[in-house]
Amino acid sequence: MSRELTHALIGFFGVIAVLGGVFLAAYGGDSLDAVIVLTNRASLLLIGSNSFDSVGGGFLANIGISLASMVVATVLGVSLGGATTAPNPMVRNTAILVVNLMRNSPWLVVLYAMLYLIPFRLSIFGTEYWVSPAAKAVVGLSVPVTAYMSEVFRAGIQSVPDGQWESARALGYRRGAILRRIILPQALPQMIPNIMTTYAMLFIGTSLVVVTGTKDVLSVAKTVIASDGDDYATAVYLFVLLLFFIYCYPIATASRAIEQKIRKAGLHG
Amino acid sequence: MAEPIPPIVQLTDVRKAFGSVEVLKGISMEVDAGNVVCIIGPSGSGKSTVLRCINGLVSINSGSIRVDTHQVETLRTEKMLVPLRHDVSMVFQQYNLFPHKTVLENVLMAPIQVLKRNPDEVRSLAESLLAKVQLADRGDAYPGQLSGGQQQRVAIVRALAMEPKVMLFDEVTAALDPEMVKEVLGVIRDLANEGMTCILVTHEMRFAEEIADRVYFTDGGIIVEHAPPKQLFHNPEDPRLRAFLDKVL
Repeated sequence: MSRELTHALIGFFGVIAVLGGVFLAAYGGDSLDAVIVLTNRASLLLIGSNSFDSVGGGFLANIGISLASMVVATVLGVSLGGATTAPNPMVRNTAILVVNLMRNSPWLVVLYAMLYLIPFRLSIFGTEYWVSPAAKAVVGLSVPVTAYMSEVFRAGIQSVPDGQWESARALGYRRGAILRRIILPQALPQMIPNIMTTYAMLFIGTSLVVVTGTKDVLSVAKTVIASDGDDYATAVYLFVLLLFFIYCYPIATASRAIEQKIRKAGLHG
Repeated sequence: MAEPIPPIVQLTDVRKAFGSVEVLKGISMEVDAGNVVCIIGPSGSGKSTVLRCINGLVSINSGSIRVDTHQVETLRTEKMLVPLRHDVSMVFQQYNLFPHKTVLENVLMAPIQVLKRNPDEVRSLAESLLAKVQLADRGDAYPGQLSGGQQQRVAIVRALAMEPKVMLFDEVTAALDPEMVKEVLGVIRDLANEGMTCILVTHEMRFAEEIADRVYFTDGGIIVEHAPPKQLFHNPEDPRLRAFLDKVL
């Protein structure tokens, strides 16, 4: 087993052991009762329903919202990031302004704003759509993450030496084709660790969507505490913390490993 | 008497400034088809910028540049520049091969993707060109697996695969180890002997003297002196050229 993997595993089980220790310290002799409460409520917290047959939200909603936001942010961020490197100063400066505006918006403020900006009912071509809180959450989270993705993308483009642009232009390629065929294939491997880190950050940010009224894991946790009693609040929140950790830790570890691999390849190549 | 054939490349009073720094202060130059012209001069004298103006990589502020039938300063968009880039190929100091593509892909991609040439024809052309520079067996290698001299020969082949009328060489041996300089210069010499019009920016004075039909000496953004190599190297008139040659020869 490689040293990196050993370290990663020690970190993984170490954090879980610490959470377990806090749990035991908090509940002492009542630990078993708390475990029983968590076991009974596990399906509710994980998938937002009392049995594992149907899905209504919970931690799965956080995963879904994070994936949807990531897709939206990637598509918009790639276009915006491309615009921030455009030769036309009008396009470039507008894009930089938009990126800075989006990047410096506090996540929670944007989510609250979406709650009131986006109506509950949306009429498109005569058809009425009900805008779910989850959809608002996706829009709200996409705003700052689009800005981060555009920065990741811009940095990736700029990591490719200018000579590549020059020789591609000398061969008759135009800007779009140069980006697609020559720059991006070289930039993407460099971008992967940053994309993964951004996603891990976005995922942690999904804990904020509770303010939109989405049935995410935190809103389910609040419901559980309200019905089972404040005594178990610590246990429930430790459980939620554990879920986030188990999901994000491998992503963060993998992104660091890939980054080191790229750095090594860069040194030898 | 027959009408004289106009030069294939003609620069007339070309001026270019980057911001407030004027790099070219009125450059005029003529290159006849099939000739080899070398541009020499101290660093920062605008030699490389002249080459980049000829193939439209750098737009000029005033003056005119004609290459064959292309009036370069009127080509305002990348799309309008494509026919010019077909006729004028360039080789760079840092090779600038695409590292994520194999040698063969590097050579094939622009003729197929930009010029829309028949892939089979381009492939056989590429293979014969690679054979000519002794790299026939390295088609599947990636640039990172080749030596600097090999990479530069691939870059020359990539430029030739566009089937240009004019080749521009921008200090193509400056980044190479001495033993690799020879192999690259050999390829250029062969090209010149075959009648390819070549414009070289170079610090290889002996090579320039041997190969050039005419040598231009630039300093401070102007052409100080130009003449056939024998005269320019052995009977320099301008004191700046004399001082420069004293330093480099």
